[in-house]
Amino acid sequence: MLRLGEKVIVFDGGFGSELERLGLRGVPEELNITAAEEIKSIHRSYSCADIATANTFGLNPIKYHGSFSLCELAQKAVENAKASGNPVFFDVGPSGAMLEPIGTLTFEQAYDAFKEVAEISRDIADGYIVETFSDLYELKACILALKENSSLPIFATMTFDSSGRTLTGSTPEIAANTLAGLGVNALGVNCSLGPRELLPIVERLVNATDLPVIVQPNRGLPVMENGKTVYKLSADEFVENIEKMLDMGVSIIGGCCGTTPEFIERISEFSGREVRKHAFAPRTLVNSANSICEIDGVKICGERLNPTGKKALKEALINDDLDYLVDVAVRQQEAGADILDVNAGLPQIDEKTVLPKIIKKLQEYCDLPLQLDSSNAEAVEAAARVYNGIPLINSVNGEREVMDKVFPIAKKYGAVVLGLAMDKNGVPKTARERCEIAERIIAAAAEYGIPRHRIMIDTLVVTASAEQMLVRQTLDALEMVRKLGVKTALGVSNVSFGLPNRPLLNRTFLSLAMERGLNMPIMDPLDGEMTGAVRAFELLTGIDENAENYIDIYKDFTPSSQQTLKTAKENKSAATLYDCVKQGLKAHAAQLTEEELKTREPMEVVSDVLIKALDDVGRLYESGKLFLPQLISSAEAAKTAFAVVSQHMPQDSEQKGKVVLATVHGDVHDIGKNIVKVVIESYGWTVIDLGKDVPPERVVEAVRKHQPFAVGLSALMTTTVPSMEATVKALRADGCKAKIFVGGAVLNAETAEAIGADCYTKDALSMAKKLDELATEK
Amino acid sequence: MNFSETVDTAALRPQIYNYLGFHGVGQSEQTDVLIDECIRELEKTARFRYLYKSFDSPPEFLNKEPYTEFLRGASGVIISAMTLGVEVDRRSKLLFRTDMPRAVVFDACASAYLEHLSDEYEKTIGDDLSFRFCPGYGGSSVKDLKYIFDILRPEKIGMALNSSDFMLPSKSMAGIIAVGKKTVKSCKNCIMYGSCSYIKEGSTCYGSVKR
Repeated sequence: MLRLGEKVIVFDGGFGSELERLGLRGVPEELNITAAEEIKSIHRSYSCADIATANTFGLNPIKYHGSFSLCELAQKAVENAKASGNPVFFDVGPSGAMLEPIGTLTFEQAYDAFKEVAEISRDIADGYIVETFSDLYELKACILALKENSSLPIFATMTFDSSGRTLTGSTPEIAANTLAGLGVNALGVNCSLGPRELLPIVERLVNATDLPVIVQPNRGLPVMENGKTVYKLSADEFVENIEKMLDMGVSIIGGCCGTTPEFIERISEFSGREVRKHAFAPRTLVNSANSICEIDGVKICGERLNPTGKKALKEALINDDLDYLVDVAVRQQEAGADILDVNAGLPQIDEKTVLPKIIKKLQEYCDLPLQLDSSNAEAVEAAARVYNGIPLINSVNGEREVMDKVFPIAKKYGAVVLGLAMDKNGVPKTARERCEIAERIIAAAAEYGIPRHRIMIDTLVVTASAEQMLVRQTLDALEMVRKLGVKTALGVSNVSFGLPNRPLLNRTFLSLAMERGLNMPIMDPLDGEMTGAVRAFELLTGIDENAENYIDIYKDFTPSSQQTLKTAKENKSAATLYDCVKQGLKAHAAQLTEEELKTREPMEVVSDVLIKALDDVGRLYESGKLFLPQLISSAEAAKTAFAVVSQHMPQDSEQKGKVVLATVHGDVHDIGKNIVKVVIESYGWTVIDLGKDVPPERVVEAVRKHQPFAVGLSALMTTTVPSMEATVKALRADGCKAKIFVGGAVLNAETAEAIGADCYTKDALSMAKKLDELATEK
Repeated sequence: MNFSETVDTAALRPQIYNYLGFHGVGQSEQTDVLIDECIRELEKTARFRYLYKSFDSPPEFLNKEPYTEFLRGASGVIISAMTLGVEVDRRSKLLFRTDMPRAVVFDACASAYLEHLSDEYEKTIGDDLSFRFCPGYGGSSVKDLKYIFDILRPEKIGMALNSSDFMLPSKSMAGIIAVGKKTVKSCKNCIMYGSCSYIKEGSTCYGSVKR
């Protein structure tokens, strides 16, 4: 019986190199049937290990398209591996396709593929070795699929390069926190590098988890000899470095590329050795795929993605304008937030559908860990599922039924949970009572297997105008709750509700709360006074060592510079709106437009200033005196100006129409389409941007819904022109009346006509002009 | 890898201007600065990976035109794949959201940077290599990329081929290199010959000669 985490366990070694040595060519997984005896002999040569790995690395429905069924290959592979006489772990490698947003495979498709892997293996194998993953998101889909569709133990490893990151940018700490959160039985690293080069990564992994750590290094760094990959590290050196890893506290060892039975034979001497225990300090951690945040000291949680009291965000949520949310997220990130709160709680919205959609969109652009903020447990679960990392869940309270709904979700996805120190009777008056509720929450979490370090408590801010004497109770409660060994949070700005000069009260209260043990103020990071108070606190309490961060932020500070900090990058200025657009100075466009509007009618500003400037820029561009970056800068400045003008337009005034844009199905190049978008928007058109890789039916659906004046389709390569043609046909079949524009590197007027489009334009500017021309004819 | 991933921006600039559509005119100080900044950013963001295998005789999929012509007289062939990694795509995507002009320049810089690093890397493989001939160009089918992926399995350097035969991440390339035969990239067999905007403007694309 293997004693995981107590005694050292040895896995077998490289399979590919053995296949090569035996001269076996072809799809490795098919060799389980076509060369069963040879495969068995390799397994036998590894019988010195404790666990055999089935020859199933590429066996998933996305990667394997051969003539055998996945099921028969799986069965033969496990049967062959049993020749070793050892328990057999089913080898699960990456799908071979790249997940969204870089690739086109969806999280759900990846899940389905790995679910199929679980179904063909769960009754025949003894466990899973999930290995060589470099994308955390794909690994999450895999682990969820295996856990939900089998009960076998899962060992999961990722590959890191010498910079200490996976190919998609995850660090060992991020991998460890996510995998532990998802409930694997062992985690670690395989392939990547040789054992010596892996030492620093292994050390980081061991320090980042209390789970058993597994390491399967390559046989050193490969060298190229006559174009062939050769591994040259000696078995002695391999063993020596493996021993160093065991000294660090590694539990499971094995080999990857280039290792042979000789290497495994040598390290099998460690089998059964006592696993060295190492100190592990649990910490409160949340992470995205690229950044990890320890809730310690003070961490700012950005509150601006919560629609309460925010009209523009409400409208964006109702109109499904996720671009607006991305902009808000990116601005908060740039302003210094550490975590972002995401809330889609509006009566008009089905949170269960919308929240995960928002999460998927935000994580494409924003590196910060996210806080899933909803009282709808189903929405929280749907969002936690698609979140690429370990989220913070906001929130539970002391009510049993709320905790019974949320804690299973937090346990399953490894989330940190924010508990509100209140129950069905409301917010208790005293700090003592609030702390008692916190204790109840911590105890209930423990029943679900959620440790204390995955709980945070919000001791709840009351408004000073209504309950002045209770403000102090909130602060006292912070101190008491911290003694329970959990981190704390507060929605700071509630304190000033109903009082004049709210910023003053907010930042004073924030300073008091930080001093009493507040770890995570939920606040507006764009408020320079509030983030400033946090930075000052960090300096004054020694969190910001040598004041480095503070000095970096405020080195150029003068009292009057504070308001203009955001535009400091723009050292140029323009005297008039015309110059501003012509020079592409977006930062000044809004203010100069407001000034123009003081003396002119909105339509005059459009026709006499904006259109004129754009036309002049266009002429310069066409004559080769201005170039793409400048054209785009001007377009962006004009777009900003149009947004200001449109607020001054009478509601019923005639506007230019809508244009639906899409990069066609199968094509993932959207740079050209993005340029078209900004340029035609600058000419006053409203753009519905469907993104890239858009199937014909989605274009048809959008055209039906928005009834645009025109549709613009983009394709970059010859292989996607048929897809463009299919889209045009689908639109025609649906009776689309809009003008269909096509463009892209391989298009020309002839092709455009051949595939049934109305117009071909060679670049963004020509499209803007052609649109205007057609609109005038109309 | 014994070559540097830090580059002399000035050397790359003409090519970057070319990609931006400047075609040899209209260089500006403002754009120069932007190019410099983007290259420095790429040096931090990019994770250049190069994978190759060499063969004494060409793998089967190369036994057809235009490859046979390209490889005639070569003593061997190298199949290669290379990428700047997904973080460049991520960065580019964010820039398109926050700073469009910079995004456009960043994209052009990334293309030139990948070409440059690949050229430099190939110098460490040998000094008698041709340019990289990529399926999809010169009258060859982009579908042949599939064979290159089967041979190299560049998934391990983070590359993938989607259903329309696009390589991912977007700053990725694949190449067929003739060994022992100095060949020059030329326009005459290019798929874009006849409609190429570079030629119309009097220049050529990366490293090509007009023949």
